[in-house]
Amino acid sequence: MLYLYNDIVIYSGSRTVRYGGCPRYGGKGGGEMQSFPDSLVDLKSQGHTLIGCFPLYPPLELLHSFGLTPVVLWGLRQDITHLTRSDRHLQPYACGVARSLSEFVLSRGGELLDAIFMYNACDTLRNLPEILGSSLDRHGSPIPLFRLHIPAVPLSRAFASDYLNEGIRELIGELEKFTGRSFSAQTFLNSTGLYNRQRRLSRDLERLAAAGRLRFSDCSDFLLSAGRMSLDDHISILERTIREFNGRAPGHQGVRIMLSGILPPPVALLDAIERAGLTVVANDIAALRRSYDYLPAASADPGAYYQDLYRNHYPCTTILPSADSRLETIMQTVRESGVQGFIFVGEKFCEYEYFEIPAVKRMIEAEGVRTLELEIGMDDALNLDAYQTRIEAFAEMLLHETRGSRRDNDAV
Amino acid sequence: MMPSEKKRGEFKKNTSGKRLSTMIMNDYLDLHRRAYEGAFVVWIAIIVPAELFGGFEKVVYAVPESHAALCAGKGTGPVLCEKAEGFGYSTDLCSYARIDIGTAFDGGRDSPTFGLPRPDLLISNTNNCSLLVKWFDVYHRAWGVPHLVLDIPFCYENQKERDFRYIMDQFGTLISTIEEMSGQRFDLDKARESVRLSSEAMKEWKRFLGFAAHRPSGITAFDSFVQMAPILTSRGTRRLVDHYRLLADETAEQVKNGIFPVPGEKYRLLWDNIAPWHQLRKMSGRLAGLGANITSASYTYCIGALEGEYDPYEFDGNDPLAWLARLQNFSVCPHGLNLRGMAMKDVIGRNAIDGVVFASNRSCKVYSLMQMDQMRYIREELGLPCVMIDVDHADVRKYSEETAFTRLEALLEMIDA
Repeated sequence: MLYLYNDIVIYSGSRTVRYGGCPRYGGKGGGEMQSFPDSLVDLKSQGHTLIGCFPLYPPLELLHSFGLTPVVLWGLRQDITHLTRSDRHLQPYACGVARSLSEFVLSRGGELLDAIFMYNACDTLRNLPEILGSSLDRHGSPIPLFRLHIPAVPLSRAFASDYLNEGIRELIGELEKFTGRSFSAQTFLNSTGLYNRQRRLSRDLERLAAAGRLRFSDCSDFLLSAGRMSLDDHISILERTIREFNGRAPGHQGVRIMLSGILPPPVALLDAIERAGLTVVANDIAALRRSYDYLPAASADPGAYYQDLYRNHYPCTTILPSADSRLETIMQTVRESGVQGFIFVGEKFCEYEYFEIPAVKRMIEAEGVRTLELEIGMDDALNLDAYQTRIEAFAEMLLHETRGSRRDNDAV
Repeated sequence: MMPSEKKRGEFKKNTSGKRLSTMIMNDYLDLHRRAYEGAFVVWIAIIVPAELFGGFEKVVYAVPESHAALCAGKGTGPVLCEKAEGFGYSTDLCSYARIDIGTAFDGGRDSPTFGLPRPDLLISNTNNCSLLVKWFDVYHRAWGVPHLVLDIPFCYENQKERDFRYIMDQFGTLISTIEEMSGQRFDLDKARESVRLSSEAMKEWKRFLGFAAHRPSGITAFDSFVQMAPILTSRGTRRLVDHYRLLADETAEQVKNGIFPVPGEKYRLLWDNIAPWHQLRKMSGRLAGLGANITSASYTYCIGALEGEYDPYEFDGNDPLAWLARLQNFSVCPHGLNLRGMAMKDVIGRNAIDGVVFASNRSCKVYSLMQMDQMRYIREELGLPCVMIDVDHADVRKYSEETAFTRLEALLEMIDA
């Protein structure tokens, strides 16, 4: 597996092909696609004990401290397009996230995953544990399942933080039984340090993209690849990539825009955004900035650590108590980054996101920022032409306005 | 002689229907009047324990979901949904939410109740439907009304002790929030009386539903859909007990007199999901023409029972908050696959069900996204024919009657085979 990542650091020109969610630059070896399942096959062959997690913000550090390799089962749509198994269990109005993760677990989970972890999130995902569990049981490939209920009320209330602590303690007990290891405060502290390192690097890489030193589509690929490789490997890749791109001169800056959604748009649309002369300088994507923006204080106490993490997490539609701070945070980012356009990348059937879009849209438009709403469904990943046209039209409008405003300034 | 009494075998609508209409109308009028007079107004999700408000002198509550169902039943669902869509809310969002947002942001126009009085506090709840939190956040942002969330953990098994404690703590927050905001004191004894009345009402409710065990059935599930409405407007009151007692008595009398809603009943079906509010009359009439009666529904038999059970959970007269906390999982949506299966198996046996209709409801993912597995369980473990039809509980634009009936007729053929 590692040799593929080594290829990434051979930056010899423009990207020719992608594999496994990571950009691959031209050079030796040609372009071989590696899917999410294949990435996990590699990890398994290296001796990793894999725990598939959903949704996006599981207690990764705790799982890691027990010697497990957490892989976040999120955004598999580009890897899993045929839903033969999950369609036997989920109606087509479930979101693509749920359908593709179900397909993966049902078709390859028994072979590739040693355990599954999930915490409470939306109405769709909370139904999945038993659906997946009973189906795997029936097919003779049961997978241990761990669950945690993260309070959906502010953790500033003592009873809520007590409840979370109790849940974490219960989870630790279950993980001890599963792994045969005892919890180690020192190992946990080390794991928190590593994950914070990864978060810092992720933020640094994002800043490089905002400065035009690398394309946002590449940045996004590097960051998303965290979900399919070991933590050490991902940190190592981020470090090398940042070293490489830090030395580069800023590229051409187009019209500054911000993206928001559960997932970044498919690669072809990110490419279309950039081709159309737009530069993504900020994002409010759950799988990207919302995941790594907040760095919890290092702690050997999992209860204290997760109270901090979930209480101060970057606002997300799926973290219900963060609703009040979400709008403020988006507005602050819009202002600080000076964006002229804002693209909502809607995940079809994601109610959590859809309830908030009108309020966010009104707020941003009142600030004079143009918005575009895209809605990506399970079947859309292979048929993106209409979206590309809308992106081009949006870009033309923004470019026209930018030129007009420049002319006005010149005239003055 | 009871007003419903007629000669044997001839069905006549009993007085409970008229009494229900009057009761619901009065409940909404009373809500508006008391709000106008200065009562503290709370909007709640269905599962929020309204009996607690009985512990205050001047607190009234409204249930937007119930109001949305009423609008759908009265035929104004699409026009109200379209208003919300015009405000930017996706057509993929729950149609209750769209109806409610369309009503609230257009000053109550096109609502049969003239909308709901503006709330002082919003209380949502995560277990029946966590999107309620996002839905109420819409108003919280638009109007600056405080929003309190009751976080009730989803139950894959019976309620855990620590979940119970967590819920009790949240009730404490709820009570102190209302006390602080309204300036009123909470009276535990008054709340206890509300809980006692609710418990009594639930016993009568189950007595009414119990007539589905008779062959032919004394009721249809459509009766239960309509008659559940006051649970959401009159919870914890004497009038609710009286209404359900009379409803059960009248139904008993009709059964005794050989009066049945589907006299030629040949197929006894069970409905799984929220009622198709826009189709109650059409669907029940057309099914009756085929000799089919949907006698039971998971949507209504779950009310008042603990998770996975059918019989009502009775109040022991002690701590009303403990009873309410233990019963926080009473609807189907917070239940995992196993619990849903247990309750359904019980009802299938009690009511001699021939087949199950799984209504796949685009507007209610939490209810629906387990049905394909549940259907497999009913088919394989209980050997009962099942069918899945597509519905939307309140948006008629997403429903095709002919497609649904093609499948329903196929179910009847399967039962015959």
